[in-house]
Amino acid sequence: MKPISFTSILVIVCVFANVSNAINSVEEDIGSGRYVIEGRVVPPEEQEQSNWQIQTRIHVNGGEYIGFIKEDGSFAIHNVPTGSYVVEVVNPDYMYDPVRVEINSKGKYRARRVNYIQTSQVIQVPYPLRMKALSRFRYFQIREQWRMTDFLFNPMVIMMILPLLLIMVLPKMMNDPETKEDLKQITNLAKMSEMPEMSEVFTNLFGGGTTTKASKAKQIKKRQ
Amino acid sequence: MCIYEDQIGKFDWRQTYVGRIKFSQFDTVSTARKLIVATEENVLAALHLKTGEVVWRHVFESASTGNIQLLHVSDKVVTVTGSNPYLVRGWDSTTGILLWEWSLTLQDDDRADFSEWWVHQGLLVHMLPVFNSHIEVTMYNLLTGQNRGSTSKLPAAWVNDGCVLSPPYYSCVSGNMGAQRLLSIDVTSSKVQLISQPLFDYLSLDVFEGTLKPLDGNSVLPAFIIDDKKIVIVKDNNFEALNIAEMSASVTIVEGLNGPMVLQAWTDDNQGFKLSAHSVSTGKEVSEIKCSDPALRIPEPELGAVLCTKTGNDHACRIVVNGADDAIHLMQQGGRVMWSREESLANVVAVEFVDLPVSETDAAIESEFDQKEGSIWAGSVRRLHSQYQQLQTLLASLQSDRDVVHSSTEDLVRDYFNLHKIIVLVTEVGKIIGIDNLSGEILWHHFEGALDTEAVAIFTRRTARHPPYDAYLSIVGKHQESGNGLIISLNPITGELVGERVLQVDGRVLQCALLHQPDEEKLHGLVLLYDDESVQVFPVSSEHLVDDMYLYVAEAESAKVQGYALKYNGRTAIAQKIWSLDLGSGGHRIAVSASRAAQRTHSPGRALSDRSVLYKYNNPNLVLFITEGPDPVHKDVVRAVAVDGASGAVVSGAVHRRARATPLAVHADNCIAYVYLSDKYRRVEIATMELYEGKERWGTPGAPFSSFSSARAPAAARQAYIVPAAARAPRAAALTVTERSLTDRHLLLALSNGAIMEIPWAFLDPRRAPAGGGQMGVGEEGVLPYLPELPLPAEAVLNYNRSLHRVRSLHTHPAGIESTSLVLATGLDMYYTRVAPSKTFDLLKEDFDYHLISIVLVALVVATYSTKYFASRKMLKMAWK
Repeated sequence: MKPISFTSILVIVCVFANVSNAINSVEEDIGSGRYVIEGRVVPPEEQEQSNWQIQTRIHVNGGEYIGFIKEDGSFAIHNVPTGSYVVEVVNPDYMYDPVRVEINSKGKYRARRVNYIQTSQVIQVPYPLRMKALSRFRYFQIREQWRMTDFLFNPMVIMMILPLLLIMVLPKMMNDPETKEDLKQITNLAKMSEMPEMSEVFTNLFGGGTTTKASKAKQIKKRQ
Repeated sequence: MCIYEDQIGKFDWRQTYVGRIKFSQFDTVSTARKLIVATEENVLAALHLKTGEVVWRHVFESASTGNIQLLHVSDKVVTVTGSNPYLVRGWDSTTGILLWEWSLTLQDDDRADFSEWWVHQGLLVHMLPVFNSHIEVTMYNLLTGQNRGSTSKLPAAWVNDGCVLSPPYYSCVSGNMGAQRLLSIDVTSSKVQLISQPLFDYLSLDVFEGTLKPLDGNSVLPAFIIDDKKIVIVKDNNFEALNIAEMSASVTIVEGLNGPMVLQAWTDDNQGFKLSAHSVSTGKEVSEIKCSDPALRIPEPELGAVLCTKTGNDHACRIVVNGADDAIHLMQQGGRVMWSREESLANVVAVEFVDLPVSETDAAIESEFDQKEGSIWAGSVRRLHSQYQQLQTLLASLQSDRDVVHSSTEDLVRDYFNLHKIIVLVTEVGKIIGIDNLSGEILWHHFEGALDTEAVAIFTRRTARHPPYDAYLSIVGKHQESGNGLIISLNPITGELVGERVLQVDGRVLQCALLHQPDEEKLHGLVLLYDDESVQVFPVSSEHLVDDMYLYVAEAESAKVQGYALKYNGRTAIAQKIWSLDLGSGGHRIAVSASRAAQRTHSPGRALSDRSVLYKYNNPNLVLFITEGPDPVHKDVVRAVAVDGASGAVVSGAVHRRARATPLAVHADNCIAYVYLSDKYRRVEIATMELYEGKERWGTPGAPFSSFSSARAPAAARQAYIVPAAARAPRAAALTVTERSLTDRHLLLALSNGAIMEIPWAFLDPRRAPAGGGQMGVGEEGVLPYLPELPLPAEAVLNYNRSLHRVRSLHTHPAGIESTSLVLATGLDMYYTRVAPSKTFDLLKEDFDYHLISIVLVALVVATYSTKYFASRKMLKMAWK
């Protein structure tokens, strides 16, 4: 009979522990050196996101312990032993600052900012935690908008418009006769190296095609 | 680096999985009907009843703290997770939002594993059997955890480890051989009622063992199976035995129209999947549910949740069937599959990207050049014919819509930039799956139940580049039972078994590799090194090609590494142990090893600011070992050792004190990077190393590197950076790979918050030094001044807000176009995308304006000729003046 009665005492102890937990809303030691990290996530400002609670999780030490948040944004991570933990709010769209929570062997909590470079620096934050969204993640590049100036300074457009200006506008601006004479000379010169007439091009292509080809072939031979 | 918002889903896809189903129940209360599942992967999810898509999903811890012990669906979803302490949580079934949670710690930790949980009249019942003594039953308020009364103890000296629970009855076979009794007790009733009957009364069998098995699914009546032969139902304090149809059948009892029905499912070798239903009270078969489908192959089907409703006079049933291949099917009565989910993909262990064959027309053009014989006329006819075919395909492509992604088997041909591939995945249960990388669609699958996928290796032995030979892929694993090697060879394009097919070899495989030289059929031989140091080559005909081959074998726990030289001695291939190395001094174990990725090295050196060249140490045999172990002074120590895999020479190394290793190490070219946890500063650090020969080359330019020619150690540049993430946050790492390694190299790092970060190697460059320090690398072109923290901006997240849970590994593969690297992340979710580390320098921008450039060209031509016309008119007028 003895061992049985012993176990019954144990069971009663266990029952009492559980009852007291329920009453004290679980903040202190549960008995085996396990603690609860508590806090609240403030929902992001823009509330167009329906059920953001589902999207948001609490990671302790990168997923060693995972917490889920309730409708009102509160969360509790149960059964955490003493130690130092990085508590992160994971949401795919909003950025939250992580917090380092330290639980000492007496069950005292300390929450401070995470600083990976100066690890001994302590900037305390209130506990129970209150996590606020910093900003929305910007994952994407922004496409350039169509603007008139962009179009005008486009090299191809400049290539079209500038010669037009040179040809049409410039001669009219210069009414001075001397320059006109000069221009005439230039145009006369240009006539020599003028672009071929369409008809000439075609006659060359079809009529004299063979000769040009032959001459080309000769040239190639020479090069070789 | 990052994409535009309108490119979402253009190059990437994500598939979400939940894992092998452990518990399933239909949510019949809420308006949108769902299937609630809890899985072996510690995932709770709601699946859409019509499509099978995930409505909401919660991923618990992957360790035992996340194990799901109970799923109960009424108007709320209730789960019990963990293994002492337990967490009881309530969820809203429509939205999946957490409603309440409370923790429960059992004092008796040793026996907690035998706990049984169920929900009885709104109370959570916890039962703990104490063998040969008693049963402890405790009931808790489901919402608050408050205890209703106390723990009641039921004396039951007959309880043993073969007992089964069929709520609320706990049943055992007890007693001496020959006088065994079947005992059952209702553990929730206030007065102890023990049902005890001799086993013979219910089993008129000659031989029996008396093993009990609970029913599958959510049985509506308390029942169990004896010896796979009889179903015993506990009813009115009595037992009732029913016959079972098939030894291997999965049995459950469901509520039918005319009382409960016994549902059984099994797969017959010849007749395929079979389903049958019998009324419990009358024993009559329910004909509309019965199914026999030879086309449907579900290995070892297991019934999950079943829901039958009334339509007219018939049953309309939804039956969840879970196969041994981890696939989950939702069936109707009569066996029509409404949807299937390939949940084995939540556990991918090996990945290989396979090139597609060229299209038939391209192949015809290539074969045209191969045929040397034939007259000039035959040649020109062939030429004209292939050109005609090209014209046809061109016309066809113009007609069909460009944006539609075709993925039928005829379209499985290589595209111009070789971006279209097949990804072959080996999953943990032994299912081999081929998927299309552009659409993510499953093209073929092959289930090999005997394959033990621990340390499985996958080799492309012949690419599709050698028509008329088909591509050839081999998977080397272990046999589940014997532990001997198992080779599966298949055509990765079609999934058909070829060559060795499924072959069990007679020996345990120590190491396997491909031969460097292909045989006449362009097939690379597969070399297996057995634990007795004998060598076997597949196919045997390529045994003579074994030459100048070196293998190494590393034991993770003892950290012993051994090197073997393989030779062909005229008759057979032999292995000779040539070196051995003990990295495990002081109790170290190998956390990870990373051999150098087989890829080109673009440039042999790096130009410095003083116009000299720093030559890279370009050893293709280099292997990196990361070991961790205890240290008397510094608690834990991580060592990184770079070893020449052919000669066994230690080339370089590094030690990190008060640190623990993570299994993340990457190695390409002369670059090495590995992640470790710094216990001293409680943060994650990444160490990088680059190996250089120095300012003078060791060998002659262009000569291949030889491990045996020089015993010089290279100079190493080392640096470490802080990864601004919580401990254990990095989950997987990989380097991008491109065709010719011209493009920048980026490190991909998967973090536990679900993001895959793309970090340029320039940030990880070990030659970065603090400005003004006068050290190597300062002020050089392309070398940034040192900053301890790596920047992880949101723009560097490859998968934007498509978070990935529990990424297990990252795989990269070059595309045919130099700028692009293909990326696949596996884990609970699967994500595929492509990255262009140096931007797509070899492609026109996708927003390139074809219309504008053609309009400009046309306008220019028109303008020149019209101005010429006007000019000539003007000249004419001038001449008249």
